[in-house]
Amino acid sequence: MFQQIPYNVAVIDRDYNIVEANSNFKDYFGSWQNRKCYTVYKKLNEPCENCPTKEVFKKGNPVVADAVGIDQHGRKTHYVAHVLPIKIKKGGKVEYAMEMTRTVTETDRWQQEYQILFDRVPCYITVIGEDYRIVRANEAFRENFGDVLGQHCYKVYKRRNTKCPNCPAEKTFKDGKVHQSSQQGIAKNGQKIHYAVSTSALMRGSDSVAHVIEISNDVTAMKRLEEKVIDAERLGAVGQTVAGLAHSIKNILMGLEGGKYIVSLGLNKNDKGMINQGWEMLERNFDKTTSLVKDFLSFSKGRLPELEMVNPGDLVLEIVDLYKDIAAQSGIELKSVTEKNVKSAPLDPAGIHTCLTNLVSNAIDACLMSKQKGTEVLITVSESRDKLIFEVKDNGSGIDYEIKKKIFTTFFTTKGGGGTGLGLLTTRKIVQEHGGKILVISQKGKGAKFRMEFPRKRLMALYKEAKV
Amino acid sequence: MISKKILIIDDEPDVVAYLSAVLEANGYKSYATGNIKTAMEQVKEIHPDLICLDIVMPEETGISFYTRLRQDRELKTIPVIIISGIVELEKFDFRTYTKDDSIPAPECYMEKPIDVEKYIKKVKQLAG
Repeated sequence: MFQQIPYNVAVIDRDYNIVEANSNFKDYFGSWQNRKCYTVYKKLNEPCENCPTKEVFKKGNPVVADAVGIDQHGRKTHYVAHVLPIKIKKGGKVEYAMEMTRTVTETDRWQQEYQILFDRVPCYITVIGEDYRIVRANEAFRENFGDVLGQHCYKVYKRRNTKCPNCPAEKTFKDGKVHQSSQQGIAKNGQKIHYAVSTSALMRGSDSVAHVIEISNDVTAMKRLEEKVIDAERLGAVGQTVAGLAHSIKNILMGLEGGKYIVSLGLNKNDKGMINQGWEMLERNFDKTTSLVKDFLSFSKGRLPELEMVNPGDLVLEIVDLYKDIAAQSGIELKSVTEKNVKSAPLDPAGIHTCLTNLVSNAIDACLMSKQKGTEVLITVSESRDKLIFEVKDNGSGIDYEIKKKIFTTFFTTKGGGGTGLGLLTTRKIVQEHGGKILVISQKGKGAKFRMEFPRKRLMALYKEAKV
Repeated sequence: MISKKILIIDDEPDVVAYLSAVLEANGYKSYATGNIKTAMEQVKEIHPDLICLDIVMPEETGISFYTRLRQDRELKTIPVIIISGIVELEKFDFRTYTKDDSIPAPECYMEKPIDVEKYIKKVKQLAG
């Protein structure tokens, strides 16, 4: 039986000689015959300080102690020793001590590994009690949020004084399941932190949750990158707008230079007709400057889209109402289709109205320019891959390759004096302010399709931001 | 001496008036059209010694017109000055706007508003 005990067992006499040991002991510490316990356990030449066996001999009571020894291969080993007194005669003195040791090296390493994992894993981990106070927090969390043990999680994460609405930890406390959500908090340095949090239950017994572990991934850098991309797109639009403005101004300058040249030529030749012609050119181009400035000011009215939850289909119906008579008078059929799965979305109704107005009036113009009969303009609203999509399609004259390339980039107009060239530029600006993009698919003579795509995620992010 | 013939293709009447005045004052015979659709017929009829061409025009762009001109056996040698308000015209790359690689780039680009002296110098050089 002695041999079967799943511990390293040794029997030690009062002179620290090992007088008996089991095979587990031998496998672990090596040979023991005729050797002192301190030599075998710790490879020492004299008894250990704080020797538990000595304590047992002295007091006659069992002792449990932690110790560090050296195994037969010379490896340091952590063990727990249970030392029991053995008396030969009842009431006599303790003659032997039985020392049962259990190594804790494995457990120790696991604990260390766990500790490293807990502290060094690149995410925030907190353990929260039922009263929403933080019981434990890992290093990453403490670095960003400070030493916060004992404080309410909502206070620490968000500087709130009450529980957050839609708290995932609360849900886990209730149902014991894993919950996830995206949140925004404030670090100890005052910076906004975006994080994706997942909450798991630490069960007490089988049916109640004692603690909740919150594991959060910091996605602030990703969010910033996303914001930068949107900003870059916005700035790009501004740059192109300025280039477009320069183009218009250069055309006006050409007219002014021309007027000046012809006036001075007329003066030299004493040709009144020429002077008048030049003067008219000057007047005309000054007027153009005035209207350009007006157009530009209304275009550049920089503002964030005023988002509200609207039904995209309703916006389209408004446009159809507005244009159906004009279209019908020119023999153009104006139709709209809103697909069934289209849900309401945060949009700036006035902005989208402007976009659709521009696209539809362009489409009608393209139909008017086409020699073909039975032209039509179709507006559709649909959802695809988490994007809200508006399309305006016509079977009018289409756009040729070169025009398509600069359609959004300059104050470009093919309508002679009839257009300012700002329509599509304005449309793109509004679409980009919504975090979306606009595409054109067209071939000359085969009609055109303009598509505005709005990723729902970006719309929601802008909506949340605007609410804050 | 017979005056050299220059055709101006631009939809802006003020530009046409300006360029015509400059050309006439320098002894050239100027012709003009703002309608690019009929411009090719005019080229065939007049056989100008030089064409001054705008890029951004309704119905068809100057680039597309230029491409057609260079594809015409009889007309392909007529020199062309592109006069445009496109920003940074010196960076303008004609190649990116045409699918036909055999078409040579235009003889000259000039930005609006033009420098009259440089313009006339170029006209002299190209039209003779």
